[in-house]
Amino acid sequence: MEFSKFFNSNIKLNIILIISFSISVNSFILLPNINNAFYVLFHLTFIYLIFYHYHYYLYLVALVYGILFDILLLNNIGAHIITFLSLLMLFLLLRKYLIRLSSYQIIFIYFITLIMLLLIEQFLANLIHNYKFNMSLILNFILISLIIFVPTVFLFTKLDK
Amino acid sequence: MAPKFQIKVFQLSRFVKNFTIISVVTLSFLLVFFSKTDYYLINGIKNLSNSVIIPITRFISAPVNVFSNFIDEYNQFRSLKFENKILQEEIIRLKKWQTLAIQNSRENKVLKKLLNATDNNLNLVKTASLINRNDTIYSKLINLNAGSEDKIEKNMSAINERGLLGKVIDTTANNSRVILLTDPNLSISVKSISDGIFSLLTGNGDGKYLVSSFVKENKMPRLGDIVVTSGTAQIFPVDLLVGKVAKVEKNRFFVLPFVDFKNIDYVQIVTSK
Repeated sequence: MEFSKFFNSNIKLNIILIISFSISVNSFILLPNINNAFYVLFHLTFIYLIFYHYHYYLYLVALVYGILFDILLLNNIGAHIITFLSLLMLFLLLRKYLIRLSSYQIIFIYFITLIMLLLIEQFLANLIHNYKFNMSLILNFILISLIIFVPTVFLFTKLDK
Repeated sequence: MAPKFQIKVFQLSRFVKNFTIISVVTLSFLLVFFSKTDYYLINGIKNLSNSVIIPITRFISAPVNVFSNFIDEYNQFRSLKFENKILQEEIIRLKKWQTLAIQNSRENKVLKKLLNATDNNLNLVKTASLINRNDTIYSKLINLNAGSEDKIEKNMSAINERGLLGKVIDTTANNSRVILLTDPNLSISVKSISDGIFSLLTGNGDGKYLVSSFVKENKMPRLGDIVVTSGTAQIFPVDLLVGKVAKVEKNRFFVLPFVDFKNIDYVQIVTSK
């Protein structure tokens, strides 16, 4: 009973964050889409945490994962940390409007936020670190998002009961 | 007394929250600002991520790694019969070449003695093995199990048995990070063997070809020409094998690297003598 109390949905979502982060930063040559899928899953989980489990500790989470993603994937700090923190602050500003929306509207905004996040990261990587804007990677991310979005949201709502 | 105390607690917690947000945003701004310099804090974070975070992430992602290895083994097993046939044909072909190579080697030794030439211009620093790679999303980076304790330094060249692989961009005590040739952010100065045309090559972003970003006097090399490092930028030693010209367009050309970037096991870190 005590264990299940401790093991709440917030902890479970953070475990998903750690696992998806770990898999997305280790390249598997034979399974490149696994990396991309877990990269998208990380973003999905992070947005879900912001939308449904907003807490100030998420700023520290954004800082740590932002730095680690930037160093491990880009070798320079910038794109991820800016995107994650901007999303948190944007949510803080728009929270009162988001509460009024219906569940379908929130799901739609959730998906749009995911795509925008992935696009902005690419854009910032291009702007700050001069990385080429990889359109095929973006299309791959969008395709993966379309495939995993509904099952992931279903899983998260099950975790949240 | 009690309500007053409650208000104080509320104000304090709000202050802590605001302070956390402001400090996190300020810290991230400073990190972004100093990320391109050799600032002590940034190097510390990079060292920490190389030596602590990477092993942890490898441990967590171990089941996926096992699954990936299983698929690899299955694929290899499936193609065993076909590969055996090819290898038998290749053995016959190589035996013919071997006889020719022995003759050429003898001739080469005699000619070198006549010219008083040295064998190569490379100084081997360390042979290291690959511990993990981050080359699917964004940059093309690999991590090696040797670092500054093995005298590896920044900007040293990384090669394998096929040719140039990339250069060292970060070192910690026991790890180092190598940026691959296929990364769009790495430029190398090269020359073609037959015409001696100098150019700069960068990664094409697709992880397969290198593309010319500058060609001296706009002279294009011939299709199939071999490209080696020119040594003019003084980062890479001269005459390291890079690749073969695979496609020539009006203002640029594409090079297919000799190194198979999907199969990197061991890497040699070298400098010029």
